[in-house]
Parts: sequence; structure tokens; C-alpha cells
Amino acid sequence: MIRALIADDEWAARAKLSRWLKEQGDIEIVAQSDDGIRAAEAIFRHRPDVAFLDLQMPGLTGLEVAAQLDQDDAPLLVFVTAFDEHAIRAFELNAVDYILKPFDKDRLLLTLTRVRGRTRDRKARASAVATARAQTHSSERLLVPDGEELRLIDTSTIEWIEADDNYVHVHTVARSYLLRRTLQDLLTQLGESQFARIHKSAAVNLAAIQALAPLFKGDHDVQLRSGKTLRLSRRYKDALFTRMQR
Amino acid sequence: MDDLLTVTGAKRYSDRVLYALWAVFSVIMIVVAVHDYYRGGGASLWKPLLWEGSSMSFATLLLALQRTIGRRSYDRWLGEPSKWFGHHLKWFPLYLLAFLVLVYGTRNGVYRLLGETYNHDAWLVLIPYEAVKLLLFFGLWLGVIFGFDSFARWHAQQRHLLELQRALAESRIATLSSQLRPHFFFNSLNTISALMHMDVERADRLLACLGELLRASLQSGGQELIPLGEELRLLELYAQIMLERFADRVTVQWRVDDAVLRIGVPAMLMQPLLENAFKHAVERGREKVRIEIAAVRKNDELVLSVRNTGSSLPPDWREGVGLRNCRERLQVIYGAAALTRLSESAAGVEAVVTLPCREPSA
Repeated sequence: MIRALIADDEWAARAKLSRWLKEQGDIEIVAQSDDGIRAAEAIFRHRPDVAFLDLQMPGLTGLEVAAQLDQDDAPLLVFVTAFDEHAIRAFELNAVDYILKPFDKDRLLLTLTRVRGRTRDRKARASAVATARAQTHSSERLLVPDGEELRLIDTSTIEWIEADDNYVHVHTVARSYLLRRTLQDLLTQLGESQFARIHKSAAVNLAAIQALAPLFKGDHDVQLRSGKTLRLSRRYKDALFTRMQR
Repeated sequence: MDDLLTVTGAKRYSDRVLYALWAVFSVIMIVVAVHDYYRGGGASLWKPLLWEGSSMSFATLLLALQRTIGRRSYDRWLGEPSKWFGHHLKWFPLYLLAFLVLVYGTRNGVYRLLGETYNHDAWLVLIPYEAVKLLLFFGLWLGVIFGFDSFARWHAQQRHLLELQRALAESRIATLSSQLRPHFFFNSLNTISALMHMDVERADRLLACLGELLRASLQSGGQELIPLGEELRLLELYAQIMLERFADRVTVQWRVDDAVLRIGVPAMLMQPLLENAFKHAVERGREKVRIEIAAVRKNDELVLSVRNTGSSLPPDWREGVGLRNCRERLQVIYGAAALTRLSESAAGVEAVVTLPCREPSA
């Protein structure tokens, strides 16, 4: 079975899509969301194989939802929109598909053929997410779990990030958030200019660094403005020093 | 280019003034010559008349000839005075030759007919004298003609510019009023296509609404005023479609004085304001939104407003397309008498349009 998610803020649009998807024998609708934040929540919770994302939604647009996904872990993305906007053209090469409203059943079946052919294609997912990031300001805002809900935080409030198996801890001065993301992909989303690796499993916001103190054998202590001290490993020392001087 | 310079009314008018001026000039020249002749003790009136008359008429003839033949090309050079004068003056030797032959031939002929002999200075003296005299007058009149033609062209260009501006304003107002976003149409069509599978009657009603709205938006191009009652009916069509799409997220309330329904307003004036309320509050927000549409009369003015909860003006707010179009359209129709204002309060964002009360166009 292909597990699908539908996200659209208009009930009629959801109804139309779910009616036709249910008619297919091999598709199961695992969730329907009426805004962008809830769509992202549903994707994180249900891990669908394919997500039909409306571009215009409250909370987060379809593109913003896509930009917040983990490149290696994202569902196949099908964007649905009412108007052939500039933004959607970027996906011509690498989204699984995009559908313009109103569409008929034949058009949807064409999309489903593509989806079935790509359920195991990891590259298609990664590049769609990358394109979505390039289209939105995804380095400025990060979607984090806050109790049962997700919310957006300003990435400049992040002090440092710590990898923990398949998860990362995102530390702000006030509190920490646990995300199911890889450190590598999170750093790709946040961009090179603001954050730097200091350790195999840690990265720091350059703006949060107070001082660097040398230690034994070329390691350093990284002292943060908040008082927290982190370890800078030799491997990342040179790169960090170069960037601090800039 | 030629069309721009083909100058009709203004040119004909300035030509007439030019000819009148030329006639006055000729008369003065002749009068002066006659006066001079009598002071010198002369007695035959026809002689100074012949001298000056022949000079003036042949100079006129030659100038008129040049002007008729070369007009089009000369007009082209009005923007470059040196070329314009150069192309006139290059004909001067031929002009001089023709002038001498015609003038002195005529004078000799007339004298002979009357049994007299026309005595004049030796050709070696006469030719330089006539050449200088002719060149002076020729130059003077070229200057005058240049002035007239330039004025005519300037006038024509001004008129052309005005027409262009008027056409621009017309087309501008046409674009300004067709502001239903494509988004709206495609989304509405999608809603209808979904409704068809569930409730054919409702889908049908919605389709009729959409059709009527589209028709109204296509017709709303000009500056004519429709009764406010009609404008509100169109606004209601739009609201009905949006309510069908966002039923659970918005309520729309109407507060309309019956007394204002017959006042004239530009068609589809309020639609962009309502569209903004939906776009910024309903389509972007997650809270339930309340929209209030009001039309009341205050003294001699009609006050229309659309207020919505659930959105706010960001600190770096800049006027968007919908509001700007609305304002510019009012500017074209009412000048400074109409006002558009956007404000924010605890009750939400409010767009207010104030218009002078006018009758609807017939």
C-alpha cells in the first residue's frame, strides 16, 4: 500500500482528492490536514510515502512545509496549486509532480503513475526538499516540536545543536527541542553562514560564541555567551578559526 | 515619425497667420517704396508699384514654390535648425537667378509696353545689391517660417501627447478594475468540481455565481457608476463563493443603510477590499475570522468599509495591489474628492473608502 497525506485548507479540495485516491486499490490516506503546521505534524507522525501539498495554506505554505522536512526522510512530494506560479516552476525538474487546479481524474492518474514508479527513489525526495528550501527562507525559521504541537522558532535564537543517534537536540538559551533529523541535514537547511560544526556530533551558532580557550593537544573550549562551554575538536578547529576571523 | 509630424489643424491655422503677416509685410514694403518715390520728386505712381510689386510677388511665388514642394522633408528637419536652414539656403543661388530674370524681365516688359525705357544700374552693381537684399529678406522670412512651423509641430505633439495620456488613463482604469485574481477563479473552479460529486444543485448555484461575477468584472472596465445596491449584489456573489470555500473559518456581516443603495459607485470597487480581508485573514490565519461590510452616508459623503479580524498590518507594511488600484481608480474618477484609508485597531484591520455622493450613470 502507498500511504498518502492530503494537505489543503479548503475542504472541497481535500474531498475531491481523497475521493479519487480512495478509488485506487493501492492507496491509503493516512491523514488530511487543513493547514501547513498540521501538515508538517502529520508528516512527522505518520511518515507517509507521498504528500499532496497545497501551496497556499495558513500557518505554513506547502513550500515551507517541504523546506522543513529532512532530505533523506521526506515523503514524495506532489504540489497542488490553483495558479501556475513562478515558485512552482522550479520543481519542474525535481518534484515528483505538480498539479494545477482544477484537474480531472486523468491528470491525477498520471501523477499516481509517477508516484508508483518512484516510491523507492530517494534522490527525488531530497532534491524536491532542496528546491523548496531554495525558494523559501528556510534558514531563518525552524519547525520544532513543542509538546503535542509544532511551532516555528527563529533560528537566530538557537545556541547550539547536538546530534543524538537519529535525533538532534536544538538548544536555545531558554530551552531545548528534540527533533528527528540528522545533524548534517539540519545544518544544510540552516545554511553555512550562521552555524559551524565544532565536533562530529555538535554545531554552534557563530553569533553565540563568547570566546575560544586553548586546551591540551590542540582541542579548544568554546565558551558561549550564555555561560555554557562546549568542546571544539581538532578536526574542526581550522575551519572554525577561519570563519571566526571573517 | 511622419504621423507625428503630419500636422493638420494647427498647421493650417498657423499657415493662415503666416500668409496674413506676409501680406501686411508686402503692403508696407510697397507703401514705403511709393512714399520714397514721391519724396524723390517722382510723378508716375505705377513705377514704384511695378518695382516693389514685381519684387514682392516673385519673391512670394518662389518662396511659396519652395515651401509647397519641400514641405514634407523640411518638416522632418524642424528638430535640427542648422539642417533646416541649410536645406533652404542651398537653393539660394537658383532662387536669386530666377528672381532677377523674372523681376527684371517683367519690369522691362511693362516699361516697353508703355513706351518707356527701364533704366537701372549696371548688372555688376545690381546683382550684388539684389543678392544682399534678397538674402536679408529671405533669411528674415525663413526665421519667421521656422518659428511658425516649429510652433505648429510643438502644438501637434502636445495634442498627441494628451491623446496618449488619455488613452493610457482609459486602459489603466480598465486593468485596475479587472482585479479578480486568477487564483480566485481556479480555486473556485476546483471547489465546484469537488461539489459536483456531492451536491449537484449547490455546484450549479456556485457556477452561476462565478459566471455572473466574471461577467461583471469583464464589464466593469469604464468609469461609469453603478448603483451601490448593484455593487453590493456583486460583492455578495464574491462573498458567497468564498463562504462556500471557507465556510467553517469565516462569518460575513453586512451593515447597509437602505438610503444609500441608489448612490452611484464604480463597479467592483469594493471587491479588492473584501478580497484582501479574505487573503490576509482567512487564507493565512488559523483563527476564525469575522468580516464586516458597511455602507453608510455621512453628510454628503458615502462611506464604504470592510473590516476584518484575524490579521494585522506588519510594521513594514506597504500598500498592496488591491488597495492601490482602488485608490488610483478613484483618483481618475473623482480626483481628490475620494479617500482610501487603511487602519488597524483592536477590532482588526479596516479599509475605508469615502466618496462624494453621485448619481449612477444612465
